[in-house]
Amino acid sequence: MNFINFEKHTRRAFLRRTGQLALAGTAAPFAINLAAIGEAAAFTATDYKALVCVFLLGGNDYGNTVVTYDDASYAKYSSIRAAGAGAAAGGIVLQKAALAATTLLPTAALPEGRQYALHPAMGGLRKLFNEGQAAVQLNVGPLVVPLTRSQYFGGNTVQYPRPPKLFSHNDQQSVWQSSSPEGSTIGWGGNMGDLALSGNTNSLFTCISLAGNSVFLAGDAALQYQCSAVGAVKAKALSDNFFYEPKMRSAFAELIQQSSGHLLESTYNNVTRRAIAAEAQVSSGIGAVNLQTVFPVGNSLASQLKMVARLIGARTALGNKRQVFMVQLGGFDLHDNLVAKQPGQLQAVSEAMSAFHAATVELGVADKVTSFTASDFGRTLSSNGDGSDHGWGNHHFVMGGAVNGARFFGAAPPVSVGDTAAPEDQWHVGQGRLLPSTSVDQYAATLAQWFGVEAGELNGILPNLRNFGAAAGRPDYPTNLGFMKS
Amino acid sequence: MNANDNELIDLPAISETSLTKPLVQSNALRPPAPAQPLQPLSLSVAIATLLAACGGGDSGADRSATTRLGSEAEAAPYKPLLGGNPEQSGPQPRRQALTRLPTPDELMNWAEKKFPSFFPGFETTRYNGDIVFRYYAASGNIFAILGQGVYVLGPITENRVVNVGTRADFAQAVAAELAGVTVNSDAEAVRFLLQAQISASESEIAEVRLKGFATWLDEQQARPVAQLAWDWMVLTGYTVIDTHEYFFNTLSGNKMAWYQLMGAPDAVRQRAALALSNFFVVSLDGVNDTMNWTSPGMANHWDILQRNAFGNYRTLLDEITLSPTMGAYLNTRGNRKEDPARGRLPDENYAREVMQLFSIGVNQLNLDGSVKLDVAGAPLDSYTQLDVSNLARVFTGYDFNKSFPRGVSPNPPNQTIDNVESARAPMVLDARQHSTLEKKFLGTTIPANTSGAESLRMALDTLFNHPNVGPFLGRQMIQRLVTSNPSAAYVSRVASAFNANRTGARGDLGHMFRTILLDDEARNPSGLTSPSFGKLREPVLRIAQWARTFKLKPIAGFWKIQNGLTPWDVTTSLSQSPLQAPSVFNFFRPGYVPPSTALAASKATAPEFQIVNESTVNTYINYLQNIVNRGYYDNAPSVPNNVNGSVAPNWVPTVVPDYTTELALAHDTPALVARLNLLLCAGQLSPATVTFITNALAIDRLRADSNADFKQIHVARAIMFIMCSAEYLVQK
Repeated sequence: MNFINFEKHTRRAFLRRTGQLALAGTAAPFAINLAAIGEAAAFTATDYKALVCVFLLGGNDYGNTVVTYDDASYAKYSSIRAAGAGAAAGGIVLQKAALAATTLLPTAALPEGRQYALHPAMGGLRKLFNEGQAAVQLNVGPLVVPLTRSQYFGGNTVQYPRPPKLFSHNDQQSVWQSSSPEGSTIGWGGNMGDLALSGNTNSLFTCISLAGNSVFLAGDAALQYQCSAVGAVKAKALSDNFFYEPKMRSAFAELIQQSSGHLLESTYNNVTRRAIAAEAQVSSGIGAVNLQTVFPVGNSLASQLKMVARLIGARTALGNKRQVFMVQLGGFDLHDNLVAKQPGQLQAVSEAMSAFHAATVELGVADKVTSFTASDFGRTLSSNGDGSDHGWGNHHFVMGGAVNGARFFGAAPPVSVGDTAAPEDQWHVGQGRLLPSTSVDQYAATLAQWFGVEAGELNGILPNLRNFGAAAGRPDYPTNLGFMKS
Repeated sequence: MNANDNELIDLPAISETSLTKPLVQSNALRPPAPAQPLQPLSLSVAIATLLAACGGGDSGADRSATTRLGSEAEAAPYKPLLGGNPEQSGPQPRRQALTRLPTPDELMNWAEKKFPSFFPGFETTRYNGDIVFRYYAASGNIFAILGQGVYVLGPITENRVVNVGTRADFAQAVAAELAGVTVNSDAEAVRFLLQAQISASESEIAEVRLKGFATWLDEQQARPVAQLAWDWMVLTGYTVIDTHEYFFNTLSGNKMAWYQLMGAPDAVRQRAALALSNFFVVSLDGVNDTMNWTSPGMANHWDILQRNAFGNYRTLLDEITLSPTMGAYLNTRGNRKEDPARGRLPDENYAREVMQLFSIGVNQLNLDGSVKLDVAGAPLDSYTQLDVSNLARVFTGYDFNKSFPRGVSPNPPNQTIDNVESARAPMVLDARQHSTLEKKFLGTTIPANTSGAESLRMALDTLFNHPNVGPFLGRQMIQRLVTSNPSAAYVSRVASAFNANRTGARGDLGHMFRTILLDDEARNPSGLTSPSFGKLREPVLRIAQWARTFKLKPIAGFWKIQNGLTPWDVTTSLSQSPLQAPSVFNFFRPGYVPPSTALAASKATAPEFQIVNESTVNTYINYLQNIVNRGYYDNAPSVPNNVNGSVAPNWVPTVVPDYTTELALAHDTPALVARLNLLLCAGQLSPATVTFITNALAIDRLRADSNADFKQIHVARAIMFIMCSAEYLVQK
């Protein structure tokens, strides 16, 4: 099912592809349809906007990140998670008293008295939430169609298809980013980049990854330019004295960029050629940006986000009006030592994102830059002793001046791991693996609309979106979740 | 002729002992004469039934068929069908000194190659009782082996069963084909060496040319492990409890792996171990907070891989499952049974990943590695969450073996330190913590109250016997050694080799690697001109090849190769380091398709490209530049640990290349480039590139009487040119 949609996705994208590959220097998978240039009306705006995907590799545990806090829910959470090696010390439960300093204070209370606190290590993000600079999207995850628990278990996968390869790390990373499992080559960040290419003077810097190769930022025409956390890396031999004679140095430069009839060789040298062409421009661009904002040290995510901030600071020099970035942090696959290790992880996220937000304020683009989190999957609510196992739906953060902050979006899932027909058991598929009540496509569509993608173009970017929203007869699964200011 | 030759062939389910009637027989074998018209023969057998059975799908269906063939076979005139034996006719002396009999698969592969009109395409091997056969739908012919006898049936024989000889009759022809007896050139020998091991030397080239690929490889596989990585750790001093705190150290494990790749004499074994380490992933970075002695533990992991590299997959899977480092990495260690009262459930990590990554993968596969699809065209999952949750119960109750006397760190706060043996001894089972529930997964049911050991045996047997393992593992090992996008037929042949070795045994990894390396797709020169054959050399392999080619040696006794992944200067990262993957999903995935490339358009996989980007293409060049002239530097070359906080660290070359031969050629640039092209690239640099590099190097105007330092940097420049060129980076 999903595969079929994916093919349609590619074809649609082909039809509307536009833009130039100024520096790309790569064989695009298809010839560029020049006739299509001009279709990207959505991106003729003169302002600047950027999306930043913060990917938490390994599947972050939702239960101890956005922690249920009202007495009734907390009691259930505490009872479910107390099991385990350290039961006497509370299993994998966070003590309620420890959460008091990080309670979330939304402008509108959740139904049924539900309340949440963030993990105690997330004071920075808590502050941003309470100040209206961040929101929480509850229980979001990949869906092909809206799904109930009985439909999930019903076995009719033609009428009620599941996302492919649920619970598998690499596949769910890929599905989050591209709607298809491993091997996928086009993601929704890249597709947004496709639409933005023609509006950017230098199209190469439309999609920038600080996270290595990720399908998220690969579009039909848009490439992911990869920048390291220390900037564009230069091959020293192209300028130092290793090749003493300048002529030999240029010969070396020529050799490593030469074209080839062999697919793998040309693919490799295309990257080298792009790297060499972009390096000077990136280095000089970011060299002119000196941020006063202090980023935490020894925090890889912070280092990446600092570089993103510098690149945004250099947006005029680099010729960009619309950009999509990706950063990542590993280490969330905590089958063991959840209580011991997750605090450091979440503290790194919270501090890095807080510093990044401060940097966007410093640069005067706080309402032009929206960051959002993503992760392989949520995890079980049940304990395996000292950790949790692979799940599905998860809670995520959206941050920036354009966010309708201090609010929760989506439905708070009941705190339950029971396998009964009771209403409270309908939003998980066993052991508290959340059945998403909001799809990644809805989440992405909301971001895309803020970014400037027109309604008619959304389905081309998000292949399953057509199964959601009023037009699909599902107004309970809207294509705009409302967490962005319009 | 073998006694079987006089027996009736019965397809399918009749045992040999029941075969009593006379069989059609050919007296001898001749060279093929496909153009010769076949004599009309009369044979009244129920061919249609047989074909229905053969074409019907899986071997289970074949097994249930009962068609008797040959029961009414007549004595037939001599039919020259296959060229297994050059003699003309009459009773023949046995061929002398046959090394071994061909397996049914080898024999049928050979027949397909030699007689494509009779046996077109690559067909799946089927089994029917003791009969091994393939049915060729396009020609209607069947090729079958029963015991020693070789039989053909179909239009080719006017639909009668014809015995065309014994397996022994074909041994010579098949062996010649497999061995590639003639190694035509040094370049062919190097091409093979660079797939089979890590580097090539003049003496190895000569040996391969003398012995042929197969014999050379068999000899190499038969060599015992040269030195256990564990023993190397002990000898180097990395297992003592002293102020260096080696029990907390991960970098000594990294140095161990570099030594094995760069210096251990059994390079064929090391190459297989490296390939397997990309499949059975444990990372130095993922276990050090769970156990003492991470580095010796990783040495033990390497030893499990290298000891079993040419052994059996089932043994390897068992040892991997119980190894302390895997236990620490994927949480089998400390995994406890369910606790219904409290709602605690077993940890699912190993149960999931042993299926997804170490045995069967997420999709049901055909023998050729292609994915089985459901009616809607979606891939069929090979397991469900329920399988994972059930299998997780099998891996409960395990912990490190801590029965060895422990020590005390001399450093404050004088922590108790586990005995290093706890990092090597297989994990032990605490029956009280082992789940006694029923464990139901992948069609196997382990009854409630089955012991832990028996549960483990049944579980690993189930995985081992799953039909996915051959194509799943086989395709990935082809990718590691030969090419990123092997043909379906190549995968089939390798998977078949996994499924049955020469004696029919399943899981023989030596036989699988042998099949990968001797396969026509790996050996055929057509790969050298194909625009897509080959693979990107992974960075670790490039550096290990450089090290071996130029006889890298420690000059003060210790192999102190710095970590490739996270050097102090990130702009010199190799973006890979052995045994140090970022996660169990390794540095790169077998199914990775580089987005926004010509490869993406054809959905071609290119795993190593997952770590190729605008940063890493340059950090690799920088890494190589750092070492290529003088080798690795260290500030304390005469001790196994580095000196931290030295007031004046004296960084000196410590593990250095030996360019003696190259220095002698330095002033003769064409000869230098020719030598490097042969040894590093198997001669795969194009003439244009050779000319380009030769002309570039001529800029140095080096002379025979130039000084030694100039010659050295000139050689280093030549290596930089070659090892940074795309024609080197892509191994074909």
